[in-house]
Amino acid sequence: MLEINNLHARVEEKEILKGLNLSIKPGEVHAIMGPNGSGKSTLSNVIAGREGYEVTEGSVLFDGKNLLDLEPEIRACEGIFLGFQYPVEIPGVSNMTLLKAAINARRKHQGETEIAPNDFLAWVRDRAKLVKIDPKMLSRGVNEGFSGGEKKRNEILQMLVLQPRLMILDETDSGLDIDALKIVADGINALRGPTRATVLVTHYQRLLDYVQPDYVHVLARGRIVKSGGPELAKELEEKGYGWLEAA
Amino acid sequence: MSAQPNELATYSAQFERYANALTAAERAPRSVQFSRFLASGFPDKHQEDWRYSDLSRLAEQNYEPDVTTAEVSPIALLPDADALVYINSHLQDAPSTSRWHSDTCELPPPTTGVDALNAAFASGGLRLRLDRGTRLDKPLQVLFVSRADLQASMSHQRHLIELGDQAEATVLLDFSGDGSERLATHFFDVRLGRGARLRLYRIQNEKAGGTLMTRIDAKLSRDAKFEAVTIDLGGGFIRHDLDIALAESGAETTVAGLYAQAKHSHIDNHVRVVHAAAHCTSRMNYRGLVDEKTKAVFNGKVVVQPGAQKTDSEQRIANLLLSRKAEVNAKPDLEIYADDVKCAHGATVGQLDEVALAYLRSRGIAKDTARAMLLRAFALEILDRIEWPALRARIESALHLPSELTVDFEA
Ligand SMILES: Nc1ncnc2c1ncn2[C@@H]1O[C@H](COP(=O)(O)OP(=O)(O)OP(=O)(O)O)[C@@H](O)[C@H]1O
Ligand SMILES: [Mg+2]
Repeated sequence: MLEINNLHARVEEKEILKGLNLSIKPGEVHAIMGPNGSGKSTLSNVIAGREGYEVTEGSVLFDGKNLLDLEPEIRACEGIFLGFQYPVEIPGVSNMTLLKAAINARRKHQGETEIAPNDFLAWVRDRAKLVKIDPKMLSRGVNEGFSGGEKKRNEILQMLVLQPRLMILDETDSGLDIDALKIVADGINALRGPTRATVLVTHYQRLLDYVQPDYVHVLARGRIVKSGGPELAKELEEKGYGWLEAA
Repeated sequence: MSAQPNELATYSAQFERYANALTAAERAPRSVQFSRFLASGFPDKHQEDWRYSDLSRLAEQNYEPDVTTAEVSPIALLPDADALVYINSHLQDAPSTSRWHSDTCELPPPTTGVDALNAAFASGGLRLRLDRGTRLDKPLQVLFVSRADLQASMSHQRHLIELGDQAEATVLLDFSGDGSERLATHFFDVRLGRGARLRLYRIQNEKAGGTLMTRIDAKLSRDAKFEAVTIDLGGGFIRHDLDIALAESGAETTVAGLYAQAKHSHIDNHVRVVHAAAHCTSRMNYRGLVDEKTKAVFNGKVVVQPGAQKTDSEQRIANLLLSRKAEVNAKPDLEIYADDVKCAHGATVGQLDEVALAYLRSRGIAKDTARAMLLRAFALEILDRIEWPALRARIESALHLPSELTVDFEA
């Protein structure tokens, strides 16, 4: 589904990703861990197509298509979703407006007609219930006045509404209380299935107790320096990254 | 700034022709105004209030006073409203509302500049007078349509809105035009009695080309309330003066405005609120979307006169530059001569939030759509002030027009 080969990327003349390889197949869950500043968010953003990153070498293929040629909105319509580490507040654009525009953009991309208003409301309402977001909050501006945890749950709501095929969640578990962590995990698991894949960027073993990964990778100094199964996360939790950096 | 000999010659010739058709009694006050106009000429950039809106180019023009009446074509009349329609200052048949029209007008004491030019040539127009305690049961839409005449033409009108104590009205001043080379000036004298309430919308959607200048002078008595919403959606050279005098205690005004400019337009808003009595409240909130090849000027001023204690006033101005070549001069200004007052003011000039834009795009929303969503969000605070659904819908749809707002965003 996603094939990343020898990826080099820079931000403001500074090389952050230095030859990264990663291969993800449908149905898989990959966790990416690694020290602060190692390039995890950079990788997520490059996949999602955010402006400001320059890819200098390597390739990223999604279903065999060159992802790097596509505008970020087209990538989203093709089924890529990035849950942001720091979701932005957009006063004046309501959550409902965003969701509706996003759904319809995707439908248009797939040659479908716009969603019927009633179907839309029902679709969103059911999913808001799953992530315990009061539908009333959805008439507010995007993330406007939401607490840190509410913002993260709202990212999961958007994901549930849009039903992406590749979910990249950049520290969606950071700053969550126990209950919220459970809600986020349930949201991710609800979408888990043979046709979808998930990338969890995280610093903590905690989330992985709820969402069992198939693979755990360590990203350091712009590369994947170690890969393993779920047990690698536990090892990291005990030992930190020092032993890998030294290696 | 006084005019050189021979400058303004075309105006003198036009005035002579116009004045010859008047009776001697009519002519005298007009001549006083016209000579004041000749003495001062058009304001230029040396005058502080006109610094960014130099009018000296108008001196060279030869505008003929309107004589013809253009054809009425289907016009944007709003449902659930009464209407008065002027085309190039000529009233169109309006049987039910013609009682709100007057062919004649009151002239002000001799004045200068554009005001004097207006007073010299002015014909009448809207004359809405409501007795004590009465209320217009429907909003009144006053349309000012400018249309190309055979040659460059000018029109000058003076209007009156006078609400008796406790009277209430909603009035829409609706300026639209085809962008032909015209000069139009409008003066509105607004007087609100005790406890009267006026909701005034001033909408301008001219095509680039013509010159439009409006002045609204409002005077509020005790506990009167004046709510104004002004929207500029296009225009060639536009200048609006809005002067509000809170003359007696308890008077209250809120002024909200949006300018979202068409290409090549020059829009200058001067809003002045004078707190002349104690216990008055004023709120000013203006927002601008300023595109390439346009110039926006906003000058907001609050004056708190001696004795106007317990004044409560707030001014906020925010501008969004949609291109690096956009030009905006926004200035909030405060003069306070009383000590027990609460006054706040602030002005910002910013750019479209790129992070928000990236967020929307990451959810699949096309760049142009995402930009339009953010622009609408920026304008929302002002749009929310339009408590007339049909009018709001009309303005929102005008703002959504890709040609108005998304065309040049790539810059
Ligand atoms: N816009 C930017 N301008 C300059 N440097 C940047 C920018 N974005 C990221 N960087 C730098 O790139 C490096 C990698 O950042 P990135 O956010 O990808 O790290 P991360 O692995 O996600 O870290 P964390 O665990 O703290 O979230 C950091 O050194 C960061 O300072
Ligand atoms: Mg990060």
